[in-house]
Amino acid sequence: MSQQLYLEDVSVGDALPPLPVTVDETQMFFFSAATYNGHRIHYDKDWARGTEGYDDVLVQGPLQAALLARAVTDWIGPAGRLVTYSAQNRAVAFPGQELVFGGTVTGVREDGDRTLVDLELAATRGDDTLMPGSAVVSLPSRSGGA
Amino acid sequence: MTATTLIPPEVAERVGTVAATASGEVNRREWQRWAVAVKDHNPLWFDADAARAAGYDDVVAPPLYVQYAVLGVTPLDGLRPDGSSGAVSGNLTFPDAPRRMAGGESTTFHLPCYHRDEITMVRTIESIVDKQGRSGPFVLVTWRTTYTNQRDELVAEASTSMIARP
Repeated sequence: MSQQLYLEDVSVGDALPPLPVTVDETQMFFFSAATYNGHRIHYDKDWARGTEGYDDVLVQGPLQAALLARAVTDWIGPAGRLVTYSAQNRAVAFPGQELVFGGTVTGVREDGDRTLVDLELAATRGDDTLMPGSAVVSLPSRSGGA
Repeated sequence: MTATTLIPPEVAERVGTVAATASGEVNRREWQRWAVAVKDHNPLWFDADAARAAGYDDVVAPPLYVQYAVLGVTPLDGLRPDGSSGAVSGNLTFPDAPRRMAGGESTTFHLPCYHRDEITMVRTIESIVDKQGRSGPFVLVTWRTTYTNQRDELVAEASTSMIARP
């Protein structure tokens, strides 16, 4: 990995390489541990089903958000910078489902001495958007500078 | 619909106030555990040489990690029945809407976080409103949060929200 993306490589309408992830309960356990998250809906099936009425334990919203951000930071490379990041939980996801994290370039604009790239993002499951989002990133230029 | 609300008056009164403050040290091992839980093996989080080559002083924390650097310690007997701690969101309780879900987050990142940076979070309750969704009524809570480091530099600012359903 770590191949650098440059501003000159980017045009409005470009798609980020989609990141497909099927979260399993091991990953959910480690994410809850890493975020000190004791919420039962992520590990207690009786609680998730019986008390909260879901079909199964739920993939953490912040894990989906982190995966969506990873699709961006993987794409921008080490010299790119994540300037803003936004994501909204729209629907729940269950372990074992294939989720795809990706996005599209919606704008390229000057901002003082840097050039910013606007992205529209989404975590999807089939035709469903589970998590729409957006981001602004800065990228280096081949002519030097960021 | 009707004038019913899922928001207790003592909770509604807290809009505009500081819900929580917290501080904590950014720790390389902890952010690396977070990163591998996301299967995010970006060398910037793991490899000091790669990070320096990209213009940083050392390995940096993943930008989204800053919110976890300030998490405190909650005695297990102090957890809510659903297992969540609530400390970082100001222990807002909605007895008529106990099912809680993260809503969304929107963050502007100003500076990277390095190992042993000391981060202070201040979280203010921006709004608490009743909403009507496809699956019925819910409460939307929005917080504004700032994260500063040991040099009083603004590291990140965030708007986050939570949904509580009956």
